[in-house]
Amino acid sequence: MEEKRELLSSVAKSITASPIQELSHLAQRCNAINLAEGFPDFPAPSHIKDAAISAINSDFNQYRHVQGICDYVAIVMNQMHGLDVNPLTDVAICCGQTEAFAAATFAIIDKGDEVVLFDPCYETYEGCIKMAGGVPVYVPLDPPHWTLDPNKFIKSFSRRTKAVILNSPHNPTGKVFTKDELEIIAGECRTRNCLAITDEVYEHITFNSEKHISLASFPGMRERTIITSSLSKTFSVTGWRVGWAIAPAFIASAIRNIHVKVTDSAPAPFQEAALTALRSPPEYFESLRSVSNLYYAQDYESRRDYIVNLLARIGFKIHFKPQGAFFLFAEIPENCPLSDVEYVRKLIQQAGVVAVPGCGFFHADSSVEKLSQDSYNYQDRYIRFAFCKSDHTLASAAKRLGELLDAAGCLNLK
Amino acid sequence: MRIQCTWPSHEMRLCSSTLFTFSKNSHKDLSFIRTRTTTVCPSVSATMSTVSTEKDALSGQTESTQKPLQVAKRLEKFKTTIFTQMSNLAVKHGAINLGQGFPNFDGPEFVKEAAIQAVIDGKNQYARGFGVPDLNNAIAERFKKDTGLVVDPEKEVTVTSGCTEAIAATMLGLINPGDEVILFAPFYDSYEATLSMAGAKVKSITLRPPDFAVPIDELKSAISKNTRAILINTPHNPTGKMFTREELDAIASLCIENDVLVFTDEVYDKLAFEMDHISMASLPGMYERTVTLNSLGKTFSLTGWKIGWAIAPPHLSWGVRQAHSYLTFATSTPMQWAAATALRAPDSYFLELKRDYLAKKEILVEGLKAVGFKVYPSSGTYFVVVDHTSFGLPNDVAFCEYLIKEVGVVAIPTSVFYLNPEDGKNLVRFTFCKDEGTLRAAVERMKEKLKN
Repeated sequence: MEEKRELLSSVAKSITASPIQELSHLAQRCNAINLAEGFPDFPAPSHIKDAAISAINSDFNQYRHVQGICDYVAIVMNQMHGLDVNPLTDVAICCGQTEAFAAATFAIIDKGDEVVLFDPCYETYEGCIKMAGGVPVYVPLDPPHWTLDPNKFIKSFSRRTKAVILNSPHNPTGKVFTKDELEIIAGECRTRNCLAITDEVYEHITFNSEKHISLASFPGMRERTIITSSLSKTFSVTGWRVGWAIAPAFIASAIRNIHVKVTDSAPAPFQEAALTALRSPPEYFESLRSVSNLYYAQDYESRRDYIVNLLARIGFKIHFKPQGAFFLFAEIPENCPLSDVEYVRKLIQQAGVVAVPGCGFFHADSSVEKLSQDSYNYQDRYIRFAFCKSDHTLASAAKRLGELLDAAGCLNLK
Repeated sequence: MRIQCTWPSHEMRLCSSTLFTFSKNSHKDLSFIRTRTTTVCPSVSATMSTVSTEKDALSGQTESTQKPLQVAKRLEKFKTTIFTQMSNLAVKHGAINLGQGFPNFDGPEFVKEAAIQAVIDGKNQYARGFGVPDLNNAIAERFKKDTGLVVDPEKEVTVTSGCTEAIAATMLGLINPGDEVILFAPFYDSYEATLSMAGAKVKSITLRPPDFAVPIDELKSAISKNTRAILINTPHNPTGKMFTREELDAIASLCIENDVLVFTDEVYDKLAFEMDHISMASLPGMYERTVTLNSLGKTFSLTGWKIGWAIAPPHLSWGVRQAHSYLTFATSTPMQWAAATALRAPDSYFLELKRDYLAKKEILVEGLKAVGFKVYPSSGTYFVVVDHTSFGLPNDVAFCEYLIKEVGVVAIPTSVFYLNPEDGKNLVRFTFCKDEGTLRAAVERMKEKLKN
């Protein structure tokens, strides 16, 4: 049927297919081992799946708000961060952290409000901010260790800054913001009277006794922070869409009202199963970072070590070992002139392994160039590898990469 | 190994800056809609009895000494009010709830089993953003069966978290701030809310009893080349009206003449009793400008699964998918697999569904008439609106409160479905999506205690 292209804006008409989309199609055609997607290829924990099945059988299938989720989330926040959360007023259940973030953005951002984000970062934040009429302002984290430069941070604020977005543990770098960095962020928020929206989906995945600290636990931050998180990464159920926002009552109420108008309810049986998930004993959370007798060991720390060793051995520059989440942001070998997109294309075609070109996480814009004293040309030198994959997958990837090594033992893509 | 490449965020990278620039009008400044207080969706808040949101919303401004941080201006009018109070009242008085728009019986076993199997089979990770391929196919197949239209499941079907999200994604994806959108009142309350979020200028045309016919002359004067879209809900919540072929033809020609988009909410299409359901998209010249919205929940009594979809030509689907990717990113995976099974149910399922609901409808309608309500004919949905004025209460809210406290039955005051609440003060909505025992018990209570 006839396409009404004249209805599209001129910008939309000028957009051609994204190179990253092409790569994902290529990966599919080549049957590549997928170290790109940010979700596990091993099963979700049985005790949680059983709870979902039981809920479906017990007729928990109509619109629902499961207050128990709010209760447990409040308990966990109190235990982990000493936060005082009123489960009746301060928690909004949403369809995943994605919707919690979208609703939070709509709840606080008006047209023209500026929102500070750290670069590199997950793509979706910008889309939500713009949808709400906001203006994203990026502060580059400094490679190789993705440290926060307080001067750059402070310079990014203006009279129009409404909020700061903080994702920690961080996608794509695996950085866990330090206490000092969080204090800098908190200090500026307090001084400028700004809000903060945090994405803490990887809150339970940290390594080497690194602890995730919630920004809201800093003095003066509880009343100005919206915490968003979900079941997805902690319980390996990214497809269930159960998440939440925690905020001061008047903001949580706004988020709840928006959520009701946007989706009405998170999937009912999975809300029920969430109760079982959130009640998991300490041993379950331990199994996220190390071997367990009781649970299938997701043991992300070992997987991290495996992939760091593997990629370092074959020539990637790993300046920064992930401290949390399940991504490794590796720099392309020094002598390799390829861009990240070209490198990944060859990786797919020749090694049969796919990862994500890092350029998708960088947002070079005028604010960044202004702030960045160093040149910003590292933005096409990074590739993100996901290690939330089974032993078999990781070993298969190692084997395939191993077949392409040169005499020096380095990955040699033609 | 099956690869499921789901990088919608990266796929959208180059597109994100072009969000919502579809417009035949120039960009205007955000104009705030003068919305009156609107309520939490009636079908949900009944279960939110422990959420004391209305108190917070009302007292939020005076709560603490430091209140530097304001919620967005768009939300100033959004509060949970009447309905939350009603549901709390209902629980307190042990009232039989014919207000909530969802069943008190469960969905069919074969669909539930499919969901369970999907969980067991490990389908618990992110689905492709715009839908599990098999579900997109099943939706396209169903649409062809229902309307004769052939659509491309990959380019023209988008799966969302319920029809509510499909509506939100359509509004946010295709409506620019300042665009004019026409609604028919009474309307499902998420329309107004999401239009307000999109910054639209809302024009409302009221459908009036006894037959809630579309006032074509009024529509002719309201619609112009400045109109961006018109929203149609058929079969219609709350009145049960179904738009006739004549009405749809008239609306269609006005839309073609003025280059207006149409968004149709057809979630009750399988509960069409008195006439056949007609999809606007199937009318000549209309597919290219129509977004057809639907869901699993009402047809399969699984309202909490949140599986919905939008069917539209590629250039409109693109906008819907953009917004959807930022609103929820992906829809519940196991439920999508089960939904594909559901949509392929044999004709007998749909016939039995209608038969069941017709029997329930008769119990309720006969009962309401016997009690003394003026019952307006409802052609579809599982709702019926009645005029309550013979019972002497001043308005719909007062009547509903009385009905809960003195009679022990819940109905919904329809004023919440109008831009001007005055337009709904004589009408209340009952639902018959309840098992027969519940319906009979409610009718008995009303016969006993409700006096003219």
